[in-house]
Amino acid sequence: MESSVQSMSQTTDSAFRFSNGYTADRLISIRHEMEYLNTIGKEFVAAIDRFQVHRALLKALREIYSFSACCILLKDNTFEKESPFELFIIPCYPLDATFFESIIQRIASAASALNLIHTTADQLARTAYFDAPDDLALSRSQEEVVGSEIGSFLNIPLTVENRIIGMLSLFDEKMGTFDTDLFQMTTMIADYAAIALENVRLHERENALWRQAELERMRLSLIIGSMAEGLLITDAKGAITSLNTSAEQLLAQAQVNFSPDILLHKLAGTSNVQWISRLAEIVDQALAGYTVKNQELVAGQAEERVPLTLSISAAPLLDASGTSARPLGVVAVLNDITPSKQVEQLKDEFVSVVSHELRTPLTAIKGYTQHLVRRIERRLRKTRSSQLESSTAVNDLPENYDLRSLNIVQSQTEHLERLVNDLLDLSQVQWGQLQLRPETFYLADLLTDMVRSVQSSAEQHTISLQIKAKDTKIIADHARIAQVVGNILDNAVKYSPYGGQVIVRLKQQDGYYQVSISDQGLGVSPELFDHIFERFYRVHNTATQQLSGIGLGLYVAKAIIDRHGGRIWLSSNQGMGSTFHFTLPPSPPQ
Amino acid sequence: MLPRHENSSSVSSEQVTEAYLKVIGLIDERVTPYLGKATTRALVQGAAQHIKAAYPFLEFLVYRSYTDIVPSVIHEQLSGVAPVQVVAGLNALLDECFAGLRELTGDLIAPPLHDEVTHQLKQLQ
Repeated sequence: MESSVQSMSQTTDSAFRFSNGYTADRLISIRHEMEYLNTIGKEFVAAIDRFQVHRALLKALREIYSFSACCILLKDNTFEKESPFELFIIPCYPLDATFFESIIQRIASAASALNLIHTTADQLARTAYFDAPDDLALSRSQEEVVGSEIGSFLNIPLTVENRIIGMLSLFDEKMGTFDTDLFQMTTMIADYAAIALENVRLHERENALWRQAELERMRLSLIIGSMAEGLLITDAKGAITSLNTSAEQLLAQAQVNFSPDILLHKLAGTSNVQWISRLAEIVDQALAGYTVKNQELVAGQAEERVPLTLSISAAPLLDASGTSARPLGVVAVLNDITPSKQVEQLKDEFVSVVSHELRTPLTAIKGYTQHLVRRIERRLRKTRSSQLESSTAVNDLPENYDLRSLNIVQSQTEHLERLVNDLLDLSQVQWGQLQLRPETFYLADLLTDMVRSVQSSAEQHTISLQIKAKDTKIIADHARIAQVVGNILDNAVKYSPYGGQVIVRLKQQDGYYQVSISDQGLGVSPELFDHIFERFYRVHNTATQQLSGIGLGLYVAKAIIDRHGGRIWLSSNQGMGSTFHFTLPPSPPQ
Repeated sequence: MLPRHENSSSVSSEQVTEAYLKVIGLIDERVTPYLGKATTRALVQGAAQHIKAAYPFLEFLVYRSYTDIVPSVIHEQLSGVAPVQVVAGLNALLDECFAGLRELTGDLIAPPLHDEVTHQLKQLQ
C-alpha cells in the first residue's frame, strides 16, 4: 500500500487560498500528516522495550514505503557489552544471501562516513540480530524478488539532542524506492525512533542500576544480619531506626522493649533501667559529632556474679556529600564483653587466692630467717668476746658466710613480700575493698622518714626534701601514703640507673597538699602518661627492659590517692627524667 | 572531484581554511532539513578520519566539530603548513564528505549540492 500521505502530497493545489497562503488541499494534507505523525508518535511513546520500538518503526515506515530490509545500528558505550554496537535487521523473507552481504557492507561504509563506528562488514555481520515481528513480517513470494543487488537505499542518522546514537537503514532491490518527497517524513520517523530507543536504553540502564543497588542492599543487609556484634542505628533525633539480630538479642537480655522510632531519651525517662540513660548519653555525644570508643556499660543485673557487660562504640553518620555538618544519625556497635569480664574476674580471684596462700609460708620463712640471723649474730658476738683468748680471725668463721647468705634470703623474702602485698592490694582495689585507716600525722614528717629510708639504700643518688608549707598536719592513712611515696621514690631511684638528684617537694595549693617527686632518670614519653597508671602496665624500651617490676605499684598508688580524694599525675621534665605529683586534702572525704 | 581553490600561493592557510569552512557551512545548511543538525558535523569528522593518514595536519578535525574552528585554532593547527598543502587536504576532505553523503542517501541530496558547492568554491577564488 502506498502511503496516503504520499498520495495526498501529490494532489494539485486548489485555486482557493486561505489567509495563511495555503490552499484547502494543502491544509487537508497537513492535517493528515499531523494525524499520521500523532498516531505513530503514540506508538513510539508507548514502547517500553526495543522490540516494541522496532515494531512501531516498521509499522510507520510500511505506511509510506515498500522495502526489502530495515536495519537499526546502535552505538553502545556501556562497558558491560562486549561489542560497542548492536545491529538489528528486520528483513523481508526470503532474503538473498548476496543482497544481505551488500546491505551489511553498505551499513559499515555509511557508519564509517558518519564517524559512528569503524568496523568491517564481517564483524558487523557477526553481531547482527534478526528481528521480525510476526504480524509485520515482510514476507513475499519468490517472484517478487527483483534481484540480489541493492537497487535503492537510505541511511538516516538516529539523533538525540544533536548526538548521533545510531543509524536507520532502509534497503530495496528496486530502483527509486526512496525519493526526496518522503525524505523529511522518514527523518521525522527516525527522530521518533531515536528518542524511543534512547528512552529504552535509559530505562534498561535504570533497571540495571536498580538491580545492582538492590543486590548491594541485600548483600549489606546479609552482612549486618550475620555480624556477631550488635549494630544499632539512630536518626538525627536519637531514635532507634534499626537494630540487627545480634543487637536485638543483646538488648533483649536487658528486658527493654526497643521499639523502632522511640527516642532513647524518652525511653531513659520512662524506664527504670539505669544504663539506658548512659546509652542515650553516648548517642548524644556521637550526634554532637564525636566518635565514642569502647565505653563499658553494665546492662545486666548487679546481683549477678558477672553481669552482662557491653562495650559500645558510636560514630556520627555524616552526609556523604558533606553538605550538612549535622549528623544524619548515629551508628553504634555493641560488643558483649561479659566473657572477658568473667575471665578477668577468675584471674583476679586466682591472684587474690594465690597471694593469700603465698603470704602464710612467706611469713614463716621471714620469721625463721630472722630467728636464724639473730642466733648466728649471738654466736658471732660470743666468738668476738673470746677472740682475745684465741688467734682465730673472726672474719674467717663459717658463721660469717651463713649470715651473709641469710641476709640475701631475708632481702629476697622482703622483695617477694612486697610483690605479694601489691597483688593483695590489687585484689582489694579490684573488688572495691581498699580500706583506709585514717589517723592524724604530719605529712612533712612522713616525707622526711621516707627520704631517709630510701636514701640509705641508694648510694648513687642524692635525695633532697623541700618543704614549702607551714602546717602539714593531715588526716590520712599513714601506711598507705607511705606506700605511695615509697613506691614513687623507689621508681625514681630504679629508673635513674646512673644516679642523680631526686627532689621531693611539698607545698600547699588551693587547700590541698601537693607532693612532687622529680628525678633525672630515663623519663616517660608523653604519649604514655595516660597508660602509666594502668594495672600491669610497664614501659617497654631498651633502657627499661632490664629493670624488674610487674606494673602494679602506680596502679595501687592511684587507687590510694583517689580513695583519699586526691589526684595523681605525671609530667615530663625539661631535658630528662620525670616528675610525679599527687595532691591530698587535709582530711579524706566521708 | 571538486575544483581546487586557485591562487593558493598568494593567500594564507587561514584564508583558505575559512573559505572551505564556509563551503562546509553551506553543506550543513542544505543537509540539516533532511538528516538533522548533527549529520554534517559527523560527516566532516568521518572524512577527517579517512584522510588523516594522507593529511595529518587535518587530524584535529576528527576530534573537534568544524563549527568550533575559529581563526586562532586554524592558526595553531596549521602554522607551518604550506597553503597549497592545506588546499589539497581540504579538497580531499570535501570529496570525502560528499562520498559520505552518497553512502547515506545515494543521489538524493549529493548531486545538486555538489553543483552548488562547486559554484560557491569558484566564487570564493
